[in-house]
Amino acid sequence: MIRFVLARLVQSLVALAILTVVVFVLARATGDPLQLILPMSASEEDYANARQYLGLDRPYVEQYFSFVGRALTGDFGNSLRARRPVVELIRDRLPNSLKLAAFAMTASLLMAFPLGVIAAVHKGTAIDRAAQVIAVLGQSLPTFWVAIVLIEVVAGRLQWLPAAGIDGFASYVLPGFTLGWFVVAGMMRLLRSSMLEVLDTEYVKLARVKGVVERRVVWLHALKNALIPVVTFAGIYFSILVTTAIVVETVFAWPGLGRLAYEAITSRDFPVIQAVVLTTAAIVALVNLSVDCLYAFIDPRIRYAG
Amino acid sequence: MTIYLAIVAALLSITLVVGPVAAQGKPELTVALSSFSTEVLDPVLGGHIVKYYLSLMFDYLVGTTPDGLPSKDGGLATRWEPSQDHRRWTFHLRKGVKFHTGEEVTSEDVKWSLQRAIGKRSTTGYAGPLRTLIQDIETPAPDRVVIVTKEPTLIIPTYLSRSLSTEGMVLPKKYIEANGDDVFARKPVGSGPYRFVEQVTGSHIKLTAVDSHWRIGAPKYKTVTFKLVPEETTRIALLRRGEVDIADVSRDRVAELEREGFPIHMRKEEAILTMWWILPRDGMPTKDRRVREALNLAVDRGELAQSIFAGKADPAFIPMGLSWSYRDFGFKLTPEMQYPYDPARAKKLLAEAGYGGGFSMDVYAYQLPGLPEGKAFAEAMTGYWQKIGVQTKLIPVDYPAFRKNWFDRKTPGAMGYYNIANRDWIGTYALIEKMAYSKSKASDVVNDPEIDGMLEQVLRQTDKDKIGVLMRNVYTRLRSEHYGVPVVYLHSPYAASKTLGKWNIGTVMYDFFIDELASSK
Repeated sequence: MIRFVLARLVQSLVALAILTVVVFVLARATGDPLQLILPMSASEEDYANARQYLGLDRPYVEQYFSFVGRALTGDFGNSLRARRPVVELIRDRLPNSLKLAAFAMTASLLMAFPLGVIAAVHKGTAIDRAAQVIAVLGQSLPTFWVAIVLIEVVAGRLQWLPAAGIDGFASYVLPGFTLGWFVVAGMMRLLRSSMLEVLDTEYVKLARVKGVVERRVVWLHALKNALIPVVTFAGIYFSILVTTAIVVETVFAWPGLGRLAYEAITSRDFPVIQAVVLTTAAIVALVNLSVDCLYAFIDPRIRYAG
Repeated sequence: MTIYLAIVAALLSITLVVGPVAAQGKPELTVALSSFSTEVLDPVLGGHIVKYYLSLMFDYLVGTTPDGLPSKDGGLATRWEPSQDHRRWTFHLRKGVKFHTGEEVTSEDVKWSLQRAIGKRSTTGYAGPLRTLIQDIETPAPDRVVIVTKEPTLIIPTYLSRSLSTEGMVLPKKYIEANGDDVFARKPVGSGPYRFVEQVTGSHIKLTAVDSHWRIGAPKYKTVTFKLVPEETTRIALLRRGEVDIADVSRDRVAELEREGFPIHMRKEEAILTMWWILPRDGMPTKDRRVREALNLAVDRGELAQSIFAGKADPAFIPMGLSWSYRDFGFKLTPEMQYPYDPARAKKLLAEAGYGGGFSMDVYAYQLPGLPEGKAFAEAMTGYWQKIGVQTKLIPVDYPAFRKNWFDRKTPGAMGYYNIANRDWIGTYALIEKMAYSKSKASDVVNDPEIDGMLEQVLRQTDKDKIGVLMRNVYTRLRSEHYGVPVVYLHSPYAASKTLGKWNIGTVMYDFFIDELASSK
């Protein structure tokens, strides 16, 4: 198990090292940030001054090694746009994304579990079809559209919930639901198929023959084993929620990591782009590693040869 | 299952607890904006685009009325005068003004702030020209500062006023020297009517009122919060919920909001939407004056104003014609200057110029802050030109990519556009000097020796009437030579809560004069 974890850890570090090169090159390929920072009236002297001050006049190789060297100590430099240490910006924004993702994940699981189980138990009935519709809508409706409709109707017209920003628990509901609906759909379908498989196994049939109450058979014996693939995907979904919430965070004015990435990309803010990409990559790598470990732990059939 | 139901019930109960927020008079003012631009709090790093919140925290050396006129009541200088040769400008400072730290504002702060504003680290709008112009700054007394220039000039007071960028903001020397630039950039201290409370990047900037301020008395609003809300639907929802008092909205949502009873404060002619060709012109069809005129005559500006800009725009006929400066220059738009929509004559002119069969022209298409209609507008323009036989190719890019091509002159003859913020005479001169003076190199889009000559005379001129004559002639020539395609003046709507009351949003670029709204005087 330890060898397995170490191997995965090394793989993750190699991936991150490759990513530093990719993000460094791609960020610079998008254009010159000074075109956005300096006013139209800026002279060539102003450009030269700013380039020197921001360290953009050095050779790319030197800039790269400087970036990697500092990143290893947790220093990603200063934002070209906000002129503040990038670490501060990430520190401000990451917790907001994590909190929103946690809320969305919890709400999704609370909806997906009963829907998936009930759809499996009542396979082929109207309930099953209704659950399938929810799943299809969740995976096919564009997130920005869902967000705008919710804001317009629930927040703007009905005035039931806040429309934007972080201001108490209620402000999590609309962005959390918007972000989580996609997950509800995926998890529900996964749980349904997993439950169908488990409900057809010998030990479930035996439980029924022994006269165990049906509710107990479904919600305890069957669900426990049907959860194994769901748990695996829950971790992956969580990292997706944290790292891909750009649309939801923009529409709901949620100051998270996705918004920070969007702002950095539109203003060619290299240090922030690099830091956000590496942070999200590290989160994904960490979650995947944790899921792998958890999977090995909860499913005794799995044996890792190292 | 029971536990599950309990959790769901708890989540649903939130909706019942959170009811509608009543829109009523309140001590807080909240402004929701689609963009904060750079979001910086240090005036030398932000420049004019973040003036709307910086002007609440800092005082300018020279004040400006909301209508853009110099004001001896709105700035730290109560009066100013030039020497006879216009090379020494003396500013007399208001006494008893204090920074939020309690320290008194003195001439040393003014000198230090200006030196910092024109320093190498500065990215403000006019640091470059001021750096070139200023020779020395003297402080003969705590309430007197003298700015010595290398050349005779009239422009110093305006350059250091609220009507332009942030170079005229006065900062606390001692505080910044003691704490450093980085601390100041996070916790700025000024002498304005509002002091800094907190900034959550990507979310909001919160300010709180001082007890009383010489500019506005005791501020009516205890706090002013600027919220960053990029999505318009969200800003409008916040307005409907009474959570914000002012929000920038797009032109096509104005009618709907007015029907709902929300007052709309319109900044008339906030920007001119103007197009130009990337230089050089040699070998290009647009080297011929008739081709440039034809491209202007092919455009139905009235139709564009109504259809693309929801009627919240008016036709423009002068390239780079910043109309807020017309009053100062004494420039009047005559009926002959107005381009009619005349595709037949446009075709005739093209034929006379030898382009009866048309020619190819690239048009860049991009969105800009304050111009969500950018791409639709570019598409409409290509449609007009195709009707007269010009084979236009629309190239979707983002603005920085266009700006790079423009400055590098890699795609001569291709067209781009910008919604240039309207401004007063000095701002206009500075803009024209960048875009129509060939020695500005990269940013020039005109390259006309006659205009170069007139602009050089403006720089040396100390008689404002003569400057007016020169600038009138510059505008007349820009129009007669068709150096660009002026399209429309854009009016920018700001929706307000039903309880906001009277507000003169003014005609100063990138400034909403929130302090006037908060004034108890």
